[in-house]
Amino acid sequence: MANKILIVEDDSQLSEAVGLYLQSQGFEAFYCPDGGAAFATFNEVQPDLVLLDIMLPIKSGLEVLKEIRAVSNVPIFMLTARTETEDQLLAYEYVADDYITKPYNPPVLVAKIKGRLNPMKKPEVSSDFVQIGPLTLDIVGHEVKRGDEKILLTPLEFNLLLTLAAKPKQVFTREMLLETVWGYHYKADTRLVNVHVQRLRSKIEDDPDNPKIVTTVRGIGYKAGQS
Amino acid sequence: MKRKGVRKSALGVFRRSLPARAVLFTVLLSGAALVALGGFLAYSIGNGLYQTRLQQSLSESKQAVIEVQNTFSAASVTDDVALQTLMNSVVPKLESSSANQSRKVALIRSPGQTTTVILQSPISAELDPSLIPLPLRDKVALETGKLVYQSIALPGVGSPHPGLVIGSAVYLPIAGNYELYLIYDLQSDQETLDFMQRSLIIGGLFLIVAIGLVSFFVTNLLVKPVLIAATASEKLANGDWTQRLQEKGEDPTAILAKSFNQMADSLQEQINKYESVSKVQQRFVSDVSHELRTPLTTIKLAGDVIFNSRDQLTGPLNRSAEIMHEQIERFQVLLTDLLEISRYDAGAVNPEFESVDLNGIVGMAIVGLEPLASSRGSKIRVDIPSGPVECEMDASRIERLIRNLLANAIEHGEGRPIDVAVGQNKASVAVTVTDYGIGMTEAETERVFDRFWRADPSRKRTTGGTGLGLAISLEDAHLHAGWLQVWSEPGNGSCFRLTLPKNHGMTIRNSPLPMPPEAPLGKNPSPKVAEAKA
Repeated sequence: MANKILIVEDDSQLSEAVGLYLQSQGFEAFYCPDGGAAFATFNEVQPDLVLLDIMLPIKSGLEVLKEIRAVSNVPIFMLTARTETEDQLLAYEYVADDYITKPYNPPVLVAKIKGRLNPMKKPEVSSDFVQIGPLTLDIVGHEVKRGDEKILLTPLEFNLLLTLAAKPKQVFTREMLLETVWGYHYKADTRLVNVHVQRLRSKIEDDPDNPKIVTTVRGIGYKAGQS
Repeated sequence: MKRKGVRKSALGVFRRSLPARAVLFTVLLSGAALVALGGFLAYSIGNGLYQTRLQQSLSESKQAVIEVQNTFSAASVTDDVALQTLMNSVVPKLESSSANQSRKVALIRSPGQTTTVILQSPISAELDPSLIPLPLRDKVALETGKLVYQSIALPGVGSPHPGLVIGSAVYLPIAGNYELYLIYDLQSDQETLDFMQRSLIIGGLFLIVAIGLVSFFVTNLLVKPVLIAATASEKLANGDWTQRLQEKGEDPTAILAKSFNQMADSLQEQINKYESVSKVQQRFVSDVSHELRTPLTTIKLAGDVIFNSRDQLTGPLNRSAEIMHEQIERFQVLLTDLLEISRYDAGAVNPEFESVDLNGIVGMAIVGLEPLASSRGSKIRVDIPSGPVECEMDASRIERLIRNLLANAIEHGEGRPIDVAVGQNKASVAVTVTDYGIGMTEAETERVFDRFWRADPSRKRTTGGTGLGLAISLEDAHLHAGWLQVWSEPGNGSCFRLTLPKNHGMTIRNSPLPMPPEAPLGKNPSPKVAEAKA
């Protein structure tokens, strides 16, 4: 069955062109022209992935992102204008899976969509539970617990943490993480990894500025646990 | 060698410093004046002292001679014993040895007389009669009744003392002609003179130092406003448009300040005008670029749908789809570059500095361009240090920059080899990309970083650069506080050198890698040599 992609974009011709291209690549495309109707359309269509423009009439793309994230962990790509505000966007509270800047290359878009849709190869772990520092990862239940306290992570954040925790001694470069966690098999913006690691830290670390669970290896990347 | 250096630097001080020059000339000139004045003073004082003393001595001597002559004339001595006794009593009385005036006396028989009475000449102790010069004795003998004198040197402690001999003939009954000599020791006068000369010299030296200091302060006072103006204009020249001078009073300095400020005002006005025009232009480019994004993306998507299905199109339609695809691609690259340079213009670039091995970055850039190089027949030769070359940088920007330099080298390298070298020293790292292709003239080299500038507009474009590549590269280098330099010669090729500080915020002093003309082209620049140099 074809994967359903919801395109929230106010420029009808661009929207249609994206849809036509995705259809030619074997996806099923759905459209929504403004932010006001986006959430309703989302519930109606139940897409596998959302392409969300940021500049939308009625309601901004970031508002829509917030609405959808409240109920669903479906992958969301923000379509951004590469402007001054991009870095502020990356630091935004609700982090999308990726940011696609115009003008983009259609094959790159499709590769990214495919990467996110095909579930990553689960890291091989012997048991259903993985321990990392004070945290317990329930692989089957997709849950993270600190003692009895449950921590809410997006699937992407969970997979990021699991990938690092499964091989606690290995240092992962950002490129490796983009490949294993995002499913991107080509060069992509490694800053995406930084943003998600920061988001993850803010949820799991006692002191996100002085991380103990996911640590930075200067000049290389990240690893689980302290060095 | 060293001396030459010292002399050079001393000369440099005089060439650079107006006060130093003023002080030097003032001291030299006033020194000469003081020497002349001092010489004149010393001479006239010495002369005056001597004349006074001479007159005094002459009048004293006259007195003494008259006294002696009278005594002898009035005495009614009849035999030589009585005369001797009289002589011995009269003559020594003339001696005196006060502290500041010592006088010795001698009564000597004139030579060439026929009288037979020989008396013992009374001569002061410590007086050597041979000190009395013979010419003077002749003169005394000739000019009877007159006082004659002459300066002589008297033996003294240490150095001889100046002395004065005054002589006159006296007639002694029975014994005949005798000569009376009075010898004055002028040492005390000499000491007075010496003291005055010393005082003159010391005073003169003090005066010269004082004149030097005064001229230094006065020149500084005059030069200071000029120096302030010079510093301000230098800052102004370096782009600090807020530099102004204080306008105080109505002297020439104030006029200088006033006209300087007027100049700065009008410059600032002009610059602001140009800046605002340039801002408007940049803004326009940025706006146009942003507006083009959505239509271009739409065209790109639709074009790709057609391109991907070009097998279903026949002949000219198929080819058109291909051409359209390529040109849209080119359009997209151009727009991406335009947007990037607009971000720099707007100051909206937020680099992420991270410690990275430059060797790795260079390696990745080379891997990316190897296919293009080999399609042109160019071999990329690499000379990198064995260890890691750690440097704080925005890796993606630096990789893009090196790729760009490589692409340029391949495009203009005429299929000849391309040399890539990496080097490092304590504070910085560097990459050079050298080709041995067509090269550029000096005028072309100067414009190579200009936007949309191409070395030869008539030349066929093959690799399809946007004309913004080197402009963006230069911005990237500046972002890192680095250097991007170029050397080129028509027919010999070009060398681009990127130098980056090892840590963000550090200043580069010298590049670890040499580039032509200091390192002749054709020799692969060796990082080892560079390290030794650093």
